[in-house]
Amino acid sequence: MLKKLLKYDLKNVFKVLVVFYALSLFFALLTRIFLSVDNSFVINIIGKVCSGTTIAMIFNILINNLMRLWVRFKQNFYGDESYLTHTLPVSKKNLYISKILASVISLFISFIVICATLFIAYYSKENINTVKNLLLPLASIYESTVIKLIIAFILVFFLEIMNMLESGYAGLVLGHKKNTNKIAYSIFFGFGVYILTQIFTILLVFIAALFNKDLMNLFYTVEILNVDVIKYCIYLAIIIYSLNIAILYIINLKLFSKGVNVD
Amino acid sequence: MELVKCSNVNKNFNNKKILKNINLTIPRGKIIGLLGKNGTGKTTLIKLINDLLTPTSGEILVNGEKIGINSKKVISYLPERTYLDKSMSVSEVIEYFSDFYNDFDSKKAKKLLKDLDLDISQKLAKMSKGMQEKVQLVLVMSRKADLYILDEPLGGVDPATRDYILDTILTNFNEGASVLISTHLIADIERILDEVIFIDNGKIILQSDTDELRKTEDGSIDEIFRRMFKC
Repeated sequence: MLKKLLKYDLKNVFKVLVVFYALSLFFALLTRIFLSVDNSFVINIIGKVCSGTTIAMIFNILINNLMRLWVRFKQNFYGDESYLTHTLPVSKKNLYISKILASVISLFISFIVICATLFIAYYSKENINTVKNLLLPLASIYESTVIKLIIAFILVFFLEIMNMLESGYAGLVLGHKKNTNKIAYSIFFGFGVYILTQIFTILLVFIAALFNKDLMNLFYTVEILNVDVIKYCIYLAIIIYSLNIAILYIINLKLFSKGVNVD
Repeated sequence: MELVKCSNVNKNFNNKKILKNINLTIPRGKIIGLLGKNGTGKTTLIKLINDLLTPTSGEILVNGEKIGINSKKVISYLPERTYLDKSMSVSEVIEYFSDFYNDFDSKKAKKLLKDLDLDISQKLAKMSKGMQEKVQLVLVMSRKADLYILDEPLGGVDPATRDYILDTILTNFNEGASVLISTHLIADIERILDEVIFIDNGKIILQSDTDELRKTEDGSIDEIFRRMFKC
């Protein structure tokens, strides 16, 4: 049953997202074509416009992906469609897991499309060298390669987006436990949960800093941190965000499994 | 064993008691009318049986088991609103029901839709509300369920369509199954009911066999209802 639920959740999310994927890749291609044509003032302007549109499309993909997932969650579990969702012979746990899997898969694919868009629009030896020169000193501290470092940054960003998404889900679940002003409460609780996860993150960083003097400088000075601390921060971010996501998942699932009250 | 058993079920909203100590059994093989004025708790009771609401206290058993996956396998529910994903076409919805309900008969659904001149390739978003409701009714009645729960299936439709809906219900429900119909349009459904449950102010005030009730109260169910609920 989980497979079937996932099939319909993914269908719903990608129905619109593929349009943005196509537009994003299309404008990336135009950007590449116009920026690679020899200097003509008009062509250059068109190239810049396409470049701006490509960047706007990238933001569009991310925002749309998040919004569609939240709207789907609300419609499916608390809107008119909930009359069908909750009467399907499927456990509440599977209903929730399907939404989480659809979120992870769609965000992952969006990230790949964003990377592909950037690659198509801006790949050149000079650009690659610029990025390499920028990140090489940091990569050498990590005893790693530039590629691995970029992947680490993308992973942190991905986990932060997942954290935001799950905070939104928690807001919807908590908001709909109320009998009145459900949407207002959902937004309020969503923000509240997100802020709590950020406070929790700072608290964990502070606890870690008790064992690392350099990291403690984060809280007491405005001096530039030494590179070792930055290295430590990335690892911490990955661990803490993963922890946040796991905790939110467990709490949401427990609350949701207790039952719903649909209008 | 009774099909559905509600024991001491209460449901509160904002400290307001909507259902008060409901004790009720739904037997097998009967068509039962859940009758009451607007806002007396009919839909709340139905939503509790369908896991759309969580009881404040009490217990609901379907085939002796608590509400859950197994109860949803045997209950076919028609809510009072349109609940399908409107971006889907009718054929996609049929596929959806086939995917999730083992007892769904897609051939029967397609035949019923064809009889209604409904185009299965059409998107639900492009259909009128009345057409969408007919699609929903067909989907619900195309399951071989143990219990069909129909919440206000006649609400807001013209008399000709009411007859069509009642005929569809009567000719398509699974043999040996029960049908629970919630409505306040009693005169329209009286002829098909085996049993009635009167609900008022969140309480079950009467559950009886229709023939017996007609005899003892000397009148039609509609008349008895009007007498009992006179404002």
